[in-house]
Amino acid sequence: MAASKAVMRGPTIIKAEDDKTRQLNPHTLMAFSGEAGDTVQFAEFIQANIKLYSMRNDTELSPAAVSNFVRGELARSLRSRSPYTVNLLLGGLDPVTEEPSLYWVDYLASLAPVPYAAHGYAQYYCLSLLDKHHNPNISLEEGMKLLEMCTDELKRRLPIDYKGVLVKVVTKDGVKEIPFDNDRVARSA
Amino acid sequence: MDKLVAQYSRPQHQNDFYSEAEQQELTEGMPPLSLKFALPPVDNRAAFLRAMTDDHANPSCPIKIAHGTTTLAFRFQGGIIVCTDSRATAGNWIASQTVKKVIPVSRLSRGEDKPSNEPTPGLLGTMAGGAADCQYWLRYLSQQCTLHEIRHKRRITVAAASKILANLTYSYKGYGLSMGTMLAGVTPQEGPALYYIDSDGTRLPGNMFCVGSGQTFAYGVLDANYKYDLTEQEALDLGRRAILAAMHRDAYSGGFINCYHVKEEGWVHHGFDDMNPIFWKTKLDRGEFSNVTSEL
Amino acid sequence: MSRRYDSRTTIFSPEGRLYQVEYALEAISHAGTALGILAKDGIVLAAERKVTSKLLEQDTSAEKLYTINECVNNPFLSNECITDPLESFELMICSNMICAVAGMNADANILINYARQNAQRYLLTYNEDIPCEQLVRRLCDLKQGYTQHGGLRPFGVSFIYAGWDHLRQFQLYQSNPSGNYGGWKATSVGANNASAQSLLKQDYKEDQTLQEACAMAVKVLSKTMDSTKLSSEKTVLLPVEFATVGKTNDGKIYHHLWTADEIDALLREQGLAKVDDEPEAGEIK
Repeated sequence: MAASKAVMRGPTIIKAEDDKTRQLNPHTLMAFSGEAGDTVQFAEFIQANIKLYSMRNDTELSPAAVSNFVRGELARSLRSRSPYTVNLLLGGLDPVTEEPSLYWVDYLASLAPVPYAAHGYAQYYCLSLLDKHHNPNISLEEGMKLLEMCTDELKRRLPIDYKGVLVKVVTKDGVKEIPFDNDRVARSA
Repeated sequence: MDKLVAQYSRPQHQNDFYSEAEQQELTEGMPPLSLKFALPPVDNRAAFLRAMTDDHANPSCPIKIAHGTTTLAFRFQGGIIVCTDSRATAGNWIASQTVKKVIPVSRLSRGEDKPSNEPTPGLLGTMAGGAADCQYWLRYLSQQCTLHEIRHKRRITVAAASKILANLTYSYKGYGLSMGTMLAGVTPQEGPALYYIDSDGTRLPGNMFCVGSGQTFAYGVLDANYKYDLTEQEALDLGRRAILAAMHRDAYSGGFINCYHVKEEGWVHHGFDDMNPIFWKTKLDRGEFSNVTSEL
Repeated sequence: MSRRYDSRTTIFSPEGRLYQVEYALEAISHAGTALGILAKDGIVLAAERKVTSKLLEQDTSAEKLYTINECVNNPFLSNECITDPLESFELMICSNMICAVAGMNADANILINYARQNAQRYLLTYNEDIPCEQLVRRLCDLKQGYTQHGGLRPFGVSFIYAGWDHLRQFQLYQSNPSGNYGGWKATSVGANNASAQSLLKQDYKEDQTLQEACAMAVKVLSKTMDSTKLSSEKTVLLPVEFATVGKTNDGKIYHHLWTADEIDALLREQGLAKVDDEPEAGEIK
């Protein structure tokens, strides 16, 4: 999973090293984008609830269960006086089967299990690349190559400097940050 | 019977969704953040407020809020520098040229910030956006911080203080609050810490922030000359110069340059100086601001 | 002496006992026996039903065994990302929970309704079946509440739960009115549960199959029940109920409440049915 590092407020990038992800449990990671303030509040609310579940029940929720819980919370908030405007990606490994899974959630609380996904402007550039090059059996290394293709394209075409991406990977050993070369120059033809 | 069952089975689980009131209590239970305010009896309060106060779109709007600022803060090897201008504007009207936009957030130092070399322990907050909002909520924050100090017998961390403020602004999101605040402080747990909090509910830790209508001008100078290894004097000078740049170019910033240095023992005030002599000194001695002519 | 302490559930006696809870346990020890045995490929629950009058309509549904959580068939349960939407409907992961009741049926109905609601609420929230132990614990938390809040009597029911989830596979639990619960390999509640328990302890073998466990259940039940033959004189019907949780050949979890015919077949196999009173199929129905 990768998320841009820039935080923009009006015409200014006020932070260039932001982490737009939260780890929910040892093998589930959530990335978020959306309305300022809402994103972190919602992510930390979810994080706290998933932690609470782990403590109460001495087991970890599967990514499938986590994403359905998240969807439910988002759907509930959508019908409240002040809905959270957040878009999410949830990635994780099932603790029992060790199967990886990825879920796409938008601010209207749609949930879809997907092999690859993107939110924001990035999706207009990246999805076509992912459609072309992704298959379910790619290795982590190939995945990183594919991510590089995506960020290169964003550098080439996106009129905004998103200050590079922060990359994290979920494996059966947990979640870890992966160093990523954001300084690569992507030349236009 | 179902009623009895419901009554005696305690909420099991997060999916027994908490009611809004319960959630309010959970998030705001301690310290009590639910202050009660009278609200205008209209549907969309934020829109109402905007219509009443937006002098940009409607120069004859009935309420003119004091706006417009340049504030900056950055971390460096010797601690944190906090600098601001001192102008308050309401529309095109300069309401004041002597606003103190750095507000000490601490029980021990809430009295006066006299220029002195004795460091005063505690946090500093800065003001940008609605002057009333900032003053009110920073005062409120200092109340909470003082309570924290009394309850726990130690000073609050900047992380915790900024979270109180961010939760507060988040709970009033959409009600028309307007603030962009930085909190700076040095605590034993965190070292020098700097947070940005605004009325959207955003809260960000960082090394450098500029907030206000003059932020872009300040960023320009600051980004170009900033290094972590700055000496104290260099850092103070850079802070002042960045504010000066904004005061010069931004019509809504001006007045006096207010400068603070936050270090381990506390904050030290480094002057509240009229920008004009500084501007001319900078121009004449250093040859900067060459677009301004000095001859008649 | 005890007068002063037993009228309220919330008050400890000087010896540190909660009389109301003990009375509830006493009430249960007069109820029909129920037992559960864990086998390597499933679980069997068996219960004796007390038939008080032959005028009683007997063909209504089971009164000692209940389903708490049905299995679901859901695309989102898959942990893989599904590329082909049609494929997803093939997937079926089951978790099942059934339980046997000993004690007051009226009280049990409340708790079972509560458990079913909780199981469904969990399903709604997580789109996944509730793990067995969690469901047991929620029920027990409710029961516990009734030993502590003033003015209410505890539930006069003990349960034996049988279930499967992917965390711990086949599981057997027992709970009592105090709100205590525990996991067991074989256990019993109700009348003569002490002797049933010792029989189970004596006969229990690790690694036994579900079939062997069923045979063992009938045997134990026949010894603890009042009549030697399980088909009593009072009625043509068999006063026992049976249910199993198991795995089909293709790995799906099923639960099954036995019909009278099936029970009868099992009893016959074990030589415990009344031979002279051979019931006709029509009579059973």
